[in-house]
Amino acid sequence: MKKSIEVKDIAFKYNDEMILKKLNVAIKENTFISIIGPNGSGKSTLLKTIARNLLPQEGAVFLKEKNLQSYSAKDLAKEMAVVPQTTEVNYNFTVEDIVLMGRHPHIKRFKREGVKDFEIVKEAMELTNTWHLRDRFINEISGGERQRAIIARALAQESKIILLDEPTSALDIHHQIEILDLLKELKEEKDVTIVAVLHDLNLAARYSEEILLLYEGEVVTIGSTEEVITVENLKKAYNIDMIVERNVYTGDLQVFPISAKNKLNKRCKKSKLLHIVCGGGVGKDIIQSLYEEGYDLSIGVVNIGDSDWEIGRILNLKIAEESPFSEISEEAMKKGSQLATEADAIILTSIPIGKGNLKNLQIVKEQLEQGKTVYFYNEYKHVTKFDYTNGDGIKMLEHLKYLGLLTLNCKAELIKVLKG
Amino acid sequence: MTNKPQNGKIFIVLIVALLTTMVVSATVGAADITVVSSLKIFLSHILSYTPILGIQIDLTDIPSSHIAIVSNIRLPRILLSFLVGYALSVVGVAFQGMLKNPMADPFIIGTSSGAALGAAIAIMLKLNTAFLGIGFVSIFAFCGALLSTFIVYNLARSKAKVPVTTLLLAGVAIGQFFTAIMSFIMIISSKDVTSIVFWTMGSFSSRGWNHVWIAFFPILIGSIVLFFFSKDINLMLLGEDTAENMGVEVERTKKIILITSALMTAVAVSVSGIIGFVGLIIPHIARMIVSPDNRILMPASGLIGGIFLVVVDTFARTIIAPTEVPVGIITALSGGPFFIYLLRRSKKMI
Repeated sequence: MKKSIEVKDIAFKYNDEMILKKLNVAIKENTFISIIGPNGSGKSTLLKTIARNLLPQEGAVFLKEKNLQSYSAKDLAKEMAVVPQTTEVNYNFTVEDIVLMGRHPHIKRFKREGVKDFEIVKEAMELTNTWHLRDRFINEISGGERQRAIIARALAQESKIILLDEPTSALDIHHQIEILDLLKELKEEKDVTIVAVLHDLNLAARYSEEILLLYEGEVVTIGSTEEVITVENLKKAYNIDMIVERNVYTGDLQVFPISAKNKLNKRCKKSKLLHIVCGGGVGKDIIQSLYEEGYDLSIGVVNIGDSDWEIGRILNLKIAEESPFSEISEEAMKKGSQLATEADAIILTSIPIGKGNLKNLQIVKEQLEQGKTVYFYNEYKHVTKFDYTNGDGIKMLEHLKYLGLLTLNCKAELIKVLKG
Repeated sequence: MTNKPQNGKIFIVLIVALLTTMVVSATVGAADITVVSSLKIFLSHILSYTPILGIQIDLTDIPSSHIAIVSNIRLPRILLSFLVGYALSVVGVAFQGMLKNPMADPFIIGTSSGAALGAAIAIMLKLNTAFLGIGFVSIFAFCGALLSTFIVYNLARSKAKVPVTTLLLAGVAIGQFFTAIMSFIMIISSKDVTSIVFWTMGSFSSRGWNHVWIAFFPILIGSIVLFFFSKDINLMLLGEDTAENMGVEVERTKKIILITSALMTAVAVSVSGIIGFVGLIIPHIARMIVSPDNRILMPASGLIGGIFLVVVDTFARTIIAPTEVPVGIITALSGGPFFIYLLRRSKKMI
């Protein structure tokens, strides 16, 4: 795909403080790229440099292989529209007036707006669902509506690139999703390139195709969302441990920061080896906690792609795995049994039991029969329905309890018991 | 922006109001002139510039003294007060938009202090002679206004940019500095105090056609230039960065507006003295009753400001005739309460 924007060796400093240090970035055409990074990493400065609101001390930005400085203001506005961080307007222009201002680069100085301009404005306003607001004053509508109106103005500019500086930071979750859905739609349907500074990692991961991660004015990494949103990358920039997993419902990557406090008391290794029977995401919390406690862990049997599996992989645990959405095979069960046998104790989480993973309980049963300690960590004790086998699962569980399964209802209790 | 039909009506109303005000103003005064005869004299003047029509107005039944009073004394005064009010109000709109500051007026970048200092120097030096029909006081005031604006502009400029905040602060600082020098002049030549004070309060007394002609072209051309940039000013209201992103050459536009406005203000001040309040209040009044869109606001504000100053000057010369009240006093006395009334009625932010 063609390069749309190319940032070459850009250095920018305010007074003596280097904000951007020799930055190199290439942005493709028709992509949705998010710029993320901690506060002070230079995200907004980079965006403003690309928008030509700031002139870098060194290096240059190229737009369609032409130096940004060689564009006239109007020509640049035809190529690129900007949605600034604050969109407040103190004068009572109507929403339509504001959107119509976006036509400025297309209208000659001595001319007024023509029929075509009004048509384009109407289309932009309908697309952003602001047409019904056209006669309202811009300073009297809500923040979300105003943000949409400003995006409509950017659309009326008919540029193929839209730069946005934290377009959702002042909005509630509903309006955040609404704006980002709109941007994604514009990218798909109007072939617009979206470059957005975003604060929220989860929204960035969910909506963008590509991500640029900045840290202290330097590029940590740039690439597809999958490549950038990794534990190592995020740790470099944000200096905090994170869990990255895949959301069960949307299939998007999701980031969970682990509190900055825990980072300080270094994880001290404990000699105990634990095996956790989990799946379907019910284990991720206990896996993280026990990992932080310092236990060696193994998990299984879980399906590949399952969020418990993701965490196991991130933390580099031994995993007895099975291909996605398939019943546990003999082979996987053997691996699971082996891991369980190696462990000093086993923790059964409150996994939803179906025909596919009944074998997990089978493994637990074998271990109990061999006299190993097995804890049943029933975190979701208020959830009664976790049996999808018409009673076989419950029956099996009752039998396990008879064999000596120890039920514990809270995490603190479990950790205490494990410490002995 | 959208060309709403009521905008056309507003301009028709304003022009009718302007013509009526002018005729009435020409009628009011010590000499007992009727509305009809002043209207006739008006028309004859207008027609003398359009000889193609070949229409003659019969002025034979009007006493020649009346014709002289209207033609040579009242008419130029009316036209000049209109021009000054128009110029100050148009510049006020441009500055308030460009500086994004509701407190801005044409004098905010030190123009008035520079003009006052220039005038004070001329008065102190007893330069009573005239040059090309214009007194040296006016010429000094004009130069003072331009000089102070020039200094302020250069103080505020950093590299290729003129940040708005620095411009305002430099304007205030230079303004204070020049006022201090003027006060010093008033102390050392105390017998000139009255004439300096009167000059700084503004007046149209004994201004003639030569003043009108000198003021006419700079103000007309200047306002046309500003009008061409009114759309850019609209965009600049959304912030300079935003305006730039929408295709406005912000720094160039600011320079053009500053230079044009400074020239217009200097011309206005040199023929009338310092008439405060008009350039601050009239743009706000026009914004409230017309529209914040500078393309409509600017001409509307100019017309309203012109009408306002014609009315004010009529009062100035008739209230306690034969003594003239300085125009600046009446503008503040009448404009202030009216503005507060409008503010309270609309209860909108400016």
